[in-house]
Amino acid sequence: MLLEVRDLHVEFRTRDGVAKAVNGVDYGVDEGETLAVLGESGSGKSVTAQAIMGILDIPPGKITGGEIVFQGQDLLKLKEDERRKVRGAEMAMIFQDALSSLNPVLSVGDQLGEMFVVHRGMSKKDARARAVELMDRVRIPAAKERVRDYPHQFSGGMRQRIMIAMALALEPALIIADEPTTALDVTVQAQVMELLAELQREYNMGLILITHDLGVVADVADRIAVMYAGRIVEQAPVHDIYKAPAHPYTRGLLDSIPRLDQKGQELYAIKGLPPNLMNIPPGCAFNPRCPMARDVCRTDVPPLYDVDDGRTSACHFWTECLNG
Amino acid sequence: MVEPILEVAGLVKHYPLTRGILFKKQVGSVKAVDGVDFTLGKGETLGIVGESGCGKSTVAKMLVNLERPTAGSIKFKGEDITKLSGKALKSVRRNIQMVFQDPYTSLNPRMTVGDIIGEPYDIHPEVAPKGDRRRKVQELLDVVGLNPEYINRYPHQFSGGQRQRIGIARGLALRPEVIVADEPVSALDVSVQAQVINLLDRLQSEFELSYLFIAHDLSIVRHISDRVGVMYLGRIVEIGRDAEIYDHPTHPYTQALLSAVPLPDPEARERRERIILTGDVPSPTNIPSGCRFRTRCWKAQERCALEVPALAVPAEFRFAAGPAAHDSACHFAEEKQVVTTKEPE
Repeated sequence: MLLEVRDLHVEFRTRDGVAKAVNGVDYGVDEGETLAVLGESGSGKSVTAQAIMGILDIPPGKITGGEIVFQGQDLLKLKEDERRKVRGAEMAMIFQDALSSLNPVLSVGDQLGEMFVVHRGMSKKDARARAVELMDRVRIPAAKERVRDYPHQFSGGMRQRIMIAMALALEPALIIADEPTTALDVTVQAQVMELLAELQREYNMGLILITHDLGVVADVADRIAVMYAGRIVEQAPVHDIYKAPAHPYTRGLLDSIPRLDQKGQELYAIKGLPPNLMNIPPGCAFNPRCPMARDVCRTDVPPLYDVDDGRTSACHFWTECLNG
Repeated sequence: MVEPILEVAGLVKHYPLTRGILFKKQVGSVKAVDGVDFTLGKGETLGIVGESGCGKSTVAKMLVNLERPTAGSIKFKGEDITKLSGKALKSVRRNIQMVFQDPYTSLNPRMTVGDIIGEPYDIHPEVAPKGDRRRKVQELLDVVGLNPEYINRYPHQFSGGQRQRIGIARGLALRPEVIVADEPVSALDVSVQAQVINLLDRLQSEFELSYLFIAHDLSIVRHISDRVGVMYLGRIVEIGRDAEIYDHPTHPYTQALLSAVPLPDPEARERRERIILTGDVPSPTNIPSGCRFRTRCWKAQERCALEVPALAVPAEFRFAAGPAAHDSACHFAEEKQVVTTKEPE
C-alpha cells in the first residue's frame, strides 16, 4: 500500500463544545489506484484529507488518534520540516475552488515555477521553462504567451487545469483531489476528469478523489469508501457497490438520486438530517434515519464486518441489506 | 397541447458596457438573453438547462419582473406583462412567484420565519386579512413539511434543506399559478435533494401549479419536467418533450451535454460514447456569427458561420412523425442516441 490511514480520529475544540469530525477512519490507496471517498457535507471526508496532507488547522483541530502510513513511515510522527519535504513533492492536493486557491497577485508562471525553485533549487529561468512545459501538458493553449497571465484571466476550467499542473509539478506518488470538478460545468467537468485520469495512468499515481457525486465516482473510481458522521460505513470495489450496496445509507443515496437514463417515479428520500457532530447519536450514527434500525443499532456501535474480499460494511444487518 | 399560461416571445436582455465617467459612451453589450421563445402550459413543468452564463437565470428574473427585458414579450394568460405598470403589474406579479437557489442568502437573517413567509401579505393584503396571517403562515409551514411551532425561529436555526422549504413556503404564500424555481436544489446535499424534489412534485398536484424549473443538473431536470429546453449563450437551441430531448436529441450541443453527464452506473463506463467538447463557452459580449455553437461544434461548416439556424423542426424530420421531430436550431441536425433509457424497476 502506498498510503494507509489507520483508525484516524480528529476533533475540533470550539467554544460550543467538541465536534468529532473523524471517528476512526481506515482506508488505503495503492499506486495507480483511484479511491473515491463519498460523503455529504460534514461527513469528515475533507478533514481526513487535510490530516493526510498535514494542512489541518491546529488548533482548533486536533488529531486524537491513529496512524497515517505513507511509503512505510507514519507521517504523524514526523517533525514539521520533514513533513514539508513530503508535502508537494511526494503528495499533492487539488482543491475545489481554483480561483480562491491560486494567488491572485502572482502570475500563474510564478506560482508553477515556485514549486521547482523551493523544492528542486532551480533558477528562476529554468523554473519558468518548466512552468510552460507543465501548462502545455495540461493542454492550455498558447502556454508560452499565457505563462505571464494572472489567474483571473483564465476561465474556470483552465484554472482547474493549472491547479492540476501545480499538483503534478514534482511528480508526486499520491494526489488528493477534493471535489475537483464541483464548481465546473458538465462539459468542462468531463474535460478535466479525463485529463486527470490520463495523467494518473501516465505517472502511475495513487489518487484519492473526494466527492459527493455518485456519477463521477462510477465514472473513474476503482474502489469507494462511503463516509457518514466521521466513519467509513462501507468500502467496496466500485462495481459491487452499485450492484448491491451492503449498508442502508449507501442504498439510500443510490435510490435518492434522479437519473439521466430513467424517467422516475417518486424519489426515495432518506428521512431526517445528517447528525450534529457535537452530538452524534449513540450506537450506529445512522440509526435515527435508517429504515432497518432495531434496538441493537441504538446501543451498539457496529464494527466493520467483512462482507467479501476487500469489502467491508459497518451495519449490524449488512446481510439483509445486501440481499435487498 | 394544454392551454398556455405563459407565452414568451423574442425575449432579449442586453446589458450595456460603458466607458468613461462623465461622458458615458456605450462600447458594447453583454447579450445575456438573445431571443428566447417558449410557452409554459397550465399545470406543466418546463425545465430549462444550460451551463453557467447561458442566460437561464436572467430569463427567470425577467419572468418575475426583477429585470426589464430589452425587447420581446411575456404573456401571462394572454396579457403582455412587460407593458404593465402600477396596479395591473402588481396583481400579475402575485401570480408568478420565485424560489431562489441559495437558501442561505435568500432569507433575511434578522427576520423570523413567520415574518419571512408572511411578508408577501404586507404587499398584497387582500390575500390574507391581518388577524388571519399567523394561521395562514402556520398552514404553509405544515404544507412544506416543517413544524408549525417553528414560526418564531430564525433562519440560522434551520438546516439547508429546511431553509429551502421556508423559501418554497414564501413562494406559495400568495397562491400563485406559476412558480419560477432557479436551481432550487443545487445547494443541497444529495440525501436532502430528494426530499425537496418530492415536495415540489407534491405541491404541484396539490395546488395545480405550473413550474418553470431552471437547473444545470440534467438528471434532476429530467426527473421533474414534462418538457425541456436547452439553452446555449442566450438562446434556446433545442426544446421538446423530455423523451424527445433525452432519448432523441438532434442538436449537437444537447448531445455533447448529455454524453458528459456522469452516470451512477460503473457498467456504463465502457459502453458509453463520450463527446468531449473542446474549449470554453465564448464570451456573451462577443457572440460568434451565424450559429453561436459553431466554435465548439465538431460538425461546423461554412454555412454555420453565415446563417443563424432557426429554432424549428429541422427539414429532414419535418414530415416524420417520430420523436426526432421537435424544435432544434441546427443546420445539420441528426438524431443521435447518447443515453439509453431504462424502465424503472
